[in-house]
Amino acid sequence: MVDWQIDLIKVIFIWVWALLIAVVMTWVERRASAMMQDRLGPNRAGPFGLLQPLADGIKLFTKEDIIPEKARKILFVLGPPLFALPAFSAYAVVPFGDKIVLGGKEIILQVSDVNIGFLYVLALGAIGVYGMVIGGWASNSKYSILGGLRATAQLISYEVPMGLALLTIVLLYGTFSLREMVLLQQGTFLGFLPNWGIFKQPLGFIIFLVAAYAEANRVPFDLPECESELVTGYHTEYGSMRLGLYLFGEYVNLGTLAAITVCLFFGGWSLPYVDMSKFLGPVSYGIASFMVFFLKQAFFLFLFVWVRWTVPRFRYDQLMGLGWKALIPLGLVNLFVTALLVQLTI
Amino acid sequence: MAREIETVCITTGPAEVGDYVTLNIGPIHPAMHGTLRVITKTDGETIISAEPEIGYLHRGVEKLGENLTYKQFLPLTDRLNYCSAICNNVAYELAVEKALGIEVPEKAQLIRTIMMELARIADHEVLVGILGVDLGALTPFFYLIIQREEIYEIFEWHHGARLTNSMGTIGGVEADLPDRFHQKWPKMRDTIRKANDETDRLLTHNRIWMDRTIGVNAFCADDALNWGFTGPMLRACGVKRDLRKDEPYLMYDQFDFEVPTGKHGDVFDRYMIRMLEMEESIKIIDQAYAMYQKLPEDAPLMKKVPKIIKPPEGQIYHAIESPNGELGFFIKSDGTDKPYRIKIRPPCYMVYQAFGELVQGEMISDLIACLSSINVIAGELDR
Amino acid sequence: MPRRPVVKKEYTLGERVYLVEITKGLGLTWKHFVFNIKASFRKGPHTVPTCWQYPEDRREIAPIFRGAHMLMLNDKGQELCVGCGMCARACPAKCITVKRGKRAEGEEDKYAGKTYCASFEIDMLRCIFCGNCENACPKGALVLGPGYELAEYDMESCIYNKDKLLANYHEAKAEGKLKPPKKPVPVEAPPAPPKKAAAKKAAGEKGKAAPKKEAKQAKKDEKGKKPAK
Repeated sequence: MVDWQIDLIKVIFIWVWALLIAVVMTWVERRASAMMQDRLGPNRAGPFGLLQPLADGIKLFTKEDIIPEKARKILFVLGPPLFALPAFSAYAVVPFGDKIVLGGKEIILQVSDVNIGFLYVLALGAIGVYGMVIGGWASNSKYSILGGLRATAQLISYEVPMGLALLTIVLLYGTFSLREMVLLQQGTFLGFLPNWGIFKQPLGFIIFLVAAYAEANRVPFDLPECESELVTGYHTEYGSMRLGLYLFGEYVNLGTLAAITVCLFFGGWSLPYVDMSKFLGPVSYGIASFMVFFLKQAFFLFLFVWVRWTVPRFRYDQLMGLGWKALIPLGLVNLFVTALLVQLTI
Repeated sequence: MAREIETVCITTGPAEVGDYVTLNIGPIHPAMHGTLRVITKTDGETIISAEPEIGYLHRGVEKLGENLTYKQFLPLTDRLNYCSAICNNVAYELAVEKALGIEVPEKAQLIRTIMMELARIADHEVLVGILGVDLGALTPFFYLIIQREEIYEIFEWHHGARLTNSMGTIGGVEADLPDRFHQKWPKMRDTIRKANDETDRLLTHNRIWMDRTIGVNAFCADDALNWGFTGPMLRACGVKRDLRKDEPYLMYDQFDFEVPTGKHGDVFDRYMIRMLEMEESIKIIDQAYAMYQKLPEDAPLMKKVPKIIKPPEGQIYHAIESPNGELGFFIKSDGTDKPYRIKIRPPCYMVYQAFGELVQGEMISDLIACLSSINVIAGELDR
Repeated sequence: MPRRPVVKKEYTLGERVYLVEITKGLGLTWKHFVFNIKASFRKGPHTVPTCWQYPEDRREIAPIFRGAHMLMLNDKGQELCVGCGMCARACPAKCITVKRGKRAEGEEDKYAGKTYCASFEIDMLRCIFCGNCENACPKGALVLGPGYELAEYDMESCIYNKDKLLANYHEAKAEGKLKPPKKPVPVEAPPAPPKKAAAKKAAGEKGKAAPKKEAKQAKKDEKGKKPAK
């Protein structure tokens, strides 16, 4: 196989994978929330209601596509794809496995190992905001605008602590490439702890996780679309598959953030204390590493759901307060201490 | 009425001048319970002024009452505060009985008390659950609503309906406590407590919840009294006023229970008071049930009343402590079988008129929290 | 300009740091999650506290449930209704229309009384299921039954006629969901003379008519009690 063919297969695979995660997540969200709330959740469509997302998709596709008369039509149409596409694109740099050897050819399980992969992720996260803001603005509805405004302020504010938390990781590993970061997390330190980011940067991890929740618009940070106040915020006026794209993009976003968390703080595809490549064949090792990565990602995806159904929602000013008064100073201190330690140890 | 006002009040809030955005919240909005509408002027997220508009659920219950006999009006009272229909029924029955000058037998009083306190628990459970939902925590709602369903089952086995109960009749109650109650109550007491405890664990000490509720819509006791607040809203402000204690009706003077009060009248106090009141209600039911069990099995349930009820000419007002506050029925009788005038004093009407003042200077999110915490029931508000 | 109490927020350290309480909350939801996952695999209806899988599993409803109306027959299969229209008068929603008919010769095995209802219509769109009609019926002929699936495709079929009401009865009987005979409500013993006078005063004296009515009613009550004995 030629290189571009392999790349194409990888691209298709990652698309399908991202889509599949998003689809399954809609089901998991419903079923898991139901289980936490003493309910059953959707269980009629297919076994365990697994076909429910499909039914939802069909419903959304067949609904009437309404564009409000006074909406800015071009922007209104542009909003949803602008929100969903960056989320997909971020998957490009996620190393979802180590490598697989097929026909004597070593294939890296990552669409492209960009050496600034990590900045790419941040940049795409920033673009995703435009989808919400444009959608909120173009709808010409006060609720939508409020949702859009909240989204802007929230996402921009929380990119700062996220960036700070990520900077410490960069300092620690001395690289921007996600793949190299994962490779550096193999083995142990201090004799017993796995060499994972979380053990080296616990505070950074917490800051990153909180910021990730804010970036993903999940409860307790779902202010841009909080149902009880702004109806559904920036996508109040959307219907049919445009709304579907927004909802879908949110889950894709979750998948991305979970993947990044795993890569940065949980050693990516590597297992602690065990080197799988030693006793697994080249092909099975590739698959196994992917599975390990997926399981770790699945845990974080579940955590997103789990937290959502446990905590109440912040208020707008409290959210800002938490971001600017707590997370950013903490992030700065963390950065400073890390820099000092790195400087001293080198 | 004991007044324990120790809080310091200061005047706050922005001036009402400038160019502001008018935001219509409701009548169709996820958080507007029923069909309420608030016209707000906002500066960003801050509310400069809020004007509640009512009447979207006006059904003319009071006018309807003038063309119905006294017994026929009873089912209509279900539709006032539909979260605790039994309290409305009993309030109306008590008012008519007062007009007739009769007192129902002891057993009927105890059954009414038990059912009313169950309704109070159900009402508070809905309120606390909805408050959680509006503040983004959906899960406690389900833990609480299951308990409400259990309570509704008792209602169903007692008089055949779950929501619009139409319990009892003028002169007593029609049925003895059902077997379901005897079987279920000992267990239910614990499950209600467990559900409350779980809600408590999920919310009360959670900082997000505390930030969202403590100090939000705080209200002065003086203002609250001037506006005519009653019930949990007034008690949250620190005024110990409970009609069950202050002007006892039925057999409430024989029960031993506390009246929890708050201090600042903020959302957190209102929430805590309702949580504590559920506990007190359980205590009352226990005591009433103990008294009930001492009575003979064939003790009378009804007082003899004429088939066609014609209270003597005159007017009467009787109020009870409904879960929301003072629920009063004013009945003017002209001696015929239909009331000349029925006026209902719903507790949330008095609270809702102060809504503009309650939320002024707060944020949109607080408006939603405030609305949920004052428990405005449109059926009761608009009548 | 509202006056507001000054509220001091006093948080403990555990509360100040969000994560402690959130972790506790996560533990609680996890407990429910595990419990319900286990429960959902159990066989049988209603394994999870909230859910009933409705069309297949149904809640047990109370025998005295106030649902769709039905016209009762007695043991001999005779219609109990005499078409007196008491129910129509008692109805607060005014949704009942009754026409009385006289029993003809040879119809004795069909109707219990000398008169019967020639037509009986209940407008279920107006009905509020209060049960006043049931209480008003002197013969126990109109009863609110166990049916609660009342959705129809058009408005005409929401007006229940006599056939439908009788069909409701047969359905309920076939399912064994007929109400148990009503227990007589123990009414407080006839008041002592001085009390009675007071009650009369309160009820407003209406000349001669009132005591007569009361006497009649007392008789009726006694009648009502008899079958139970």
